[in-house]
Amino acid sequence: MTGFSLPIQVIDLPGGKIWLVEDHSVPVVSLSWSWRGGAAPEPPGQEGATSLMAAMLGEGAGDLPARNFADALRDDAINLGFDGQRDGFEGSLRALRDALPAALRLARLAMVEPRFDNDAFERVRARALAGARQSLETPRGQASRAFWAGAYPTHSAGRPTGGTPESIAALTIPLLREAHDRQLRATGMLIGVSGAIDAASLRSMIPALFAGLPEGAPAEGPELPAFEHFPRRVVPMAFPQSTILFGQPGLAVDDPDWEAAQIMLRILGGGGFSSRLMQAVRVERGLTYGVSAGLDVLFGQAIISGGLATENGKVGEALDVIQAEWRRMSETGPTEAERDDAIAYLTGSQPLQFTDSRRISSTLLALQRNNRPLDWLSARPDRLNAISNAQLAALSKRMLKPDGLAVVVAGQPTGL
Amino acid sequence: MTRRAALASAAAAVAAPPLARHAAAFTPPPGERPLFGARIWSLPNGMRVAFAPSRRIPVIMQYMFYGAGGGEDPQGISGVAHYMEHMMFKGSRNVPNGALSQRVAREGGNDNAFTSRDVTAYYQQVEASRLALVMGMEADRFAFPLFPADDMEPERLVVLEERRQRTDANPRALFREEFQAALWGRQHWHGRPIIGWPDEIRAIRHADLLAFHERWYAPANAVLVIAGDAEEGELTRLVEQHYGGVAARPAQARDRPAPPAAPPERRLVTRSRAITEATYLRSWVAPSLTWGDADHAWALEVLAHLLGSGQGSLMHEALIETGLATSANAGFDADNVGAGEFSISAIARRGTAPEALEAATDAVIARLLQGGAEPERVARSIRQITAGALLALDGIGAAPRLIGNALASGLPIETVEFWPARIRAVTPEQVTAAARAVLAAPRDCVGWLLPETA
Repeated sequence: MTGFSLPIQVIDLPGGKIWLVEDHSVPVVSLSWSWRGGAAPEPPGQEGATSLMAAMLGEGAGDLPARNFADALRDDAINLGFDGQRDGFEGSLRALRDALPAALRLARLAMVEPRFDNDAFERVRARALAGARQSLETPRGQASRAFWAGAYPTHSAGRPTGGTPESIAALTIPLLREAHDRQLRATGMLIGVSGAIDAASLRSMIPALFAGLPEGAPAEGPELPAFEHFPRRVVPMAFPQSTILFGQPGLAVDDPDWEAAQIMLRILGGGGFSSRLMQAVRVERGLTYGVSAGLDVLFGQAIISGGLATENGKVGEALDVIQAEWRRMSETGPTEAERDDAIAYLTGSQPLQFTDSRRISSTLLALQRNNRPLDWLSARPDRLNAISNAQLAALSKRMLKPDGLAVVVAGQPTGL
Repeated sequence: MTRRAALASAAAAVAAPPLARHAAAFTPPPGERPLFGARIWSLPNGMRVAFAPSRRIPVIMQYMFYGAGGGEDPQGISGVAHYMEHMMFKGSRNVPNGALSQRVAREGGNDNAFTSRDVTAYYQQVEASRLALVMGMEADRFAFPLFPADDMEPERLVVLEERRQRTDANPRALFREEFQAALWGRQHWHGRPIIGWPDEIRAIRHADLLAFHERWYAPANAVLVIAGDAEEGELTRLVEQHYGGVAARPAQARDRPAPPAAPPERRLVTRSRAITEATYLRSWVAPSLTWGDADHAWALEVLAHLLGSGQGSLMHEALIETGLATSANAGFDADNVGAGEFSISAIARRGTAPEALEAATDAVIARLLQGGAEPERVARSIRQITAGALLALDGIGAAPRLIGNALASGLPIETVEFWPARIRAVTPEQVTAAARAVLAAPRDCVGWLLPETA
């Protein structure tokens, strides 16, 4: 049995590699590219600089002030975006085939000659500030902030990637230029492309996209420390429902048990109705609208994290049920039928990752970021099918920590 | 951004007769190609079927639309259509409770459902060879749903948690809900939340669901949309095999009362401890493709872009570039069943007095009404709204959502297949006329959600 994957072409360039899935059925092309870095190398007090710098790249470049730059994109329906992430920096572009040359010109201009005009900066910083404050208006936002701060108290991963209201207020245009210089470099980028374009055209077009960036690779931050277990935290908020986030250490993306972990966590807390958590918490007890748990990858490491929202009076019961399911999986592992179903899902759903060009290009990028071989997807069903239930049970016992779940509750929980 | 441009959710509906008069009046220009090129046919039992082929990848989507949504909830028991959607997953004659989702997952697929004001839709996405499997299960719950009484109470708890998660624990969502009630009335179909008022969700009885199903889930009120990689002859045969046997029942017309002559409240000011950023809303009762002067509907989509679509729009210039606000938007969807709504919103920058933001917004509107829409701005908006129409072909989800929503809402397929031509036909005079007809009328409500300290 082989997995569904469109043929991936690899194009070598001086600065890096491109993975391409060529498909001319729709006149659209998507590109995704990324460097390591992101928020990680930000000096203390400058949290959010990379994220704000990313937002400013779309606010005027070259001889095009913000309004003209926006019109140049929107007149031709070009989607261009930059995203400062916790461990990387990503650019993405989607355009109709006819608009691709213009799109690449504008993308280069944004990366190489951003204007950082003062009026645009004031506007974008005010929006970021409002956004940072607004994100804390809900239990979800407060719980997330507390969870990451608890798990990584001494590392940038523990702070909001977009910055705090205090750090954003202190950002200046020179600090954004520093962030730009740290991040946008002529080497170290990974590129995924999908759509109506062939390898030869790409080979001739892509070097121009990055032409003019300074030599060298981007700065990287300190290494990610181990996930730190912390005692249960409650963030008091006056709402009738609490948001609960929970997590524990996971495994590295290059761990030999990576695929086994995918199977086991699909069974425990994967999407949809079929997981043990969804059955136990929602279907059997009506305690929540949705609950899930899975791997969250940062800096090449994955942690296991999950969440749900439940009425304040039921927080204790929901946590008990989750912990019990964690323990049951840890002690006995999945059943044969659960293993078969999960593998059937993971292999059968592969074509669904290839339905649109943006999805394909970001899949190609993620594969490269995780350092996967070219045949990772096509060989995946064989890898999954080779994993026995005994392996899954051993992994569950080794990895799951029912008594070591870090928990944050935002709301007015009772009965804890 | 318009619904079509966002290629997102669903909307619109009403029975055929009044709509034919309104929306079908448009003939696409010669040589204009349909966006999706969908084929549409009907079964003898009245069910309509649409097929939008896409052969990029061996994946198929099945969408089952019913022409009934939160707008069809009986008086005083809001939330029935949505509760019904949940209970449709509780088994049918040949598919045990919960088995549909499990089988779809076992085949590597995804499934879900949604309820809008105008439609309820159930969908699955699977590898192409699994189409017969999902058709068989969807047809079974169409014809023979079980609605087990024992599942009513556990599922009611889930719905109440869903409501808390979406609304009660979200101060902005809660305010939007109250704002809608202020503009339309708490018991008007447009003023009630789709998920339902909490006390009314608690009051829904098993019999209410059965009655709702009996009235609305009839083949004549259903639209099946298949999108993706299928062979047309085989597809036609499968549709007939699975859905042809669902017994025909007479279709019922929707009852969508007109909006109140004047909004119950013209101004709603709420202070909340949870809120950090002062937020301004204003909405007007507006025509749609199915209600009122439908000629205005497309022009209002252009007006929304011209007024509040980011860089270059009037509100961006007057509110954001002046430092009064951090965001400013305008919105309108033409493909609504019954009366529509034109809305604007802004978030005040710290230090901006609400009165100053409101006055600046009023001034933008007053200038627009007095001087009319500038032809260059209209041309630019039309270009930017339509430039990306073909992007809807990138992916297979947009076609079934747009097509199913339009057909289940009683709108002609041309509103989907030729929407760019329809937008391009809008003139500056029409935008001005639509603005004057809607924004100058006292059928609006202003809302402010303020931090407790402001």
